[in-house]
Amino acid sequence: MTSVQTYQRPSSIEEAWSLLNDGGKSAKLVGGGVDVALFAPPEILTLIDLALLPTRSIELRSDGLAIGAGVTLTDLLESPLAAAYLDGVVVTMLRQVAAPLLRNAATVGGALASTHPWSDVITLFLALDAQVTQYSGQLQTSSLENLMEQRGTIDRTIITEVLLPIPADDVYASFEKFVRTGFDIGMLNCACRLTMNGDRCESGRIVFGGTPDIGHRLEAIERALAGARLDDATIDSAAQLARQALALRDDVRASAEYRRVLAVAGIRRCLMRIAQRVGE
Amino acid sequence: MSRLTITLTINGREKTFRIDPGEKLLGVLRREGYMGVKKGCGSGDCGACAILFNGRAVNSCLVFAAKADGGTLITIEGLARGEILHPVQIAFLEEGAIQCGYCTPGMVIATVDLLTKNPDPTEGEIREALAGNLCRCTGYVKQVRAVQRAAELMKGGETHV
Repeated sequence: MTSVQTYQRPSSIEEAWSLLNDGGKSAKLVGGGVDVALFAPPEILTLIDLALLPTRSIELRSDGLAIGAGVTLTDLLESPLAAAYLDGVVVTMLRQVAAPLLRNAATVGGALASTHPWSDVITLFLALDAQVTQYSGQLQTSSLENLMEQRGTIDRTIITEVLLPIPADDVYASFEKFVRTGFDIGMLNCACRLTMNGDRCESGRIVFGGTPDIGHRLEAIERALAGARLDDATIDSAAQLARQALALRDDVRASAEYRRVLAVAGIRRCLMRIAQRVGE
Repeated sequence: MSRLTITLTINGREKTFRIDPGEKLLGVLRREGYMGVKKGCGSGDCGACAILFNGRAVNSCLVFAAKADGGTLITIEGLARGEILHPVQIAFLEEGAIQCGYCTPGMVIATVDLLTKNPDPTEGEIREALAGNLCRCTGYVKQVRAVQRAAELMKGGETHV
């Protein structure tokens, strides 16, 4: 049984915002609807479906790859623009998210707003330093990292667009996920974005998710990589830091001890993949 | 609760329904007689309730019926043309990819979606496309063969959707 009393389909973002304000805590935004259909709490009386908003485009702009919040994960996965972005790392990640039946419905905006700790989208987009545009009375853009730090209020704002910044030629990215069975919720995921100068790493963003906490940067590894040659010794050091510095816990999917093994393998694989590409 | 009126084009026919605001498509479709849309897990895990919604296969148990207002749906009942089965249905029969049959409508719908976008899938792509469709009778070898056979049939010019 559902407690939902009204279902609204606003055609403008201002109208959606007004409905969200009017409904207060009993109103919930619907992107693809997958999460809301599964997890909407009983106090939700009003659903506000964002499907009619003009947020379904994928564009390559001068400032980056702009992805509308209403784009489905399948739309993005099948986009040639996404395939061309950083050697297809976004597509590589999306292929491992759920199954096609869910990807066909779930939206990029919903994937962020759901703030699932195991989210592969959040982990990779944090590593890519995604910028998120939201509407809460007015449009404003902030980093995904900031948005996730304030995720307690994310359901009170309307995500309209995600921007993946244009990478320079010497930027590389990689993603790794560990699952029990294909398309399952992961036991741990890891993403890296490195800016290289020859075989040296100038700077990097290293993110682990599903620890089982939501994706977050591991700055100890980022500091260790800055200025270092991306060779076996550096990769060993990064793996050692992942073993020592990453905060991990047990949950139903994996023990902290097992996650530690996965974290070491994850960072090692990501960095080795980038080192191989740099050498090509 | 304010009931809603929605209009859906189902299997080529426009229909109007009165629904509750929180209802899912699965419930509406089965109530209206589309019993080929199977209720399995009800949580998007098994794929038995898959339909084509605006051309893409989705779990109807996770789609609010109100979201589909104005949309185009194809259920398993809409694939055959009269007595002539869709090539994917023919392939599933030919390859014996049907055991109890409960998961079959969802499998067929997911296959139609795959082959519409990718007429020549690899085995890996087939397995990925069917990853959201669970069969509890047996493994997936015959289903994979059936999709490969369906691809051959459709390349031969047989398409319905």
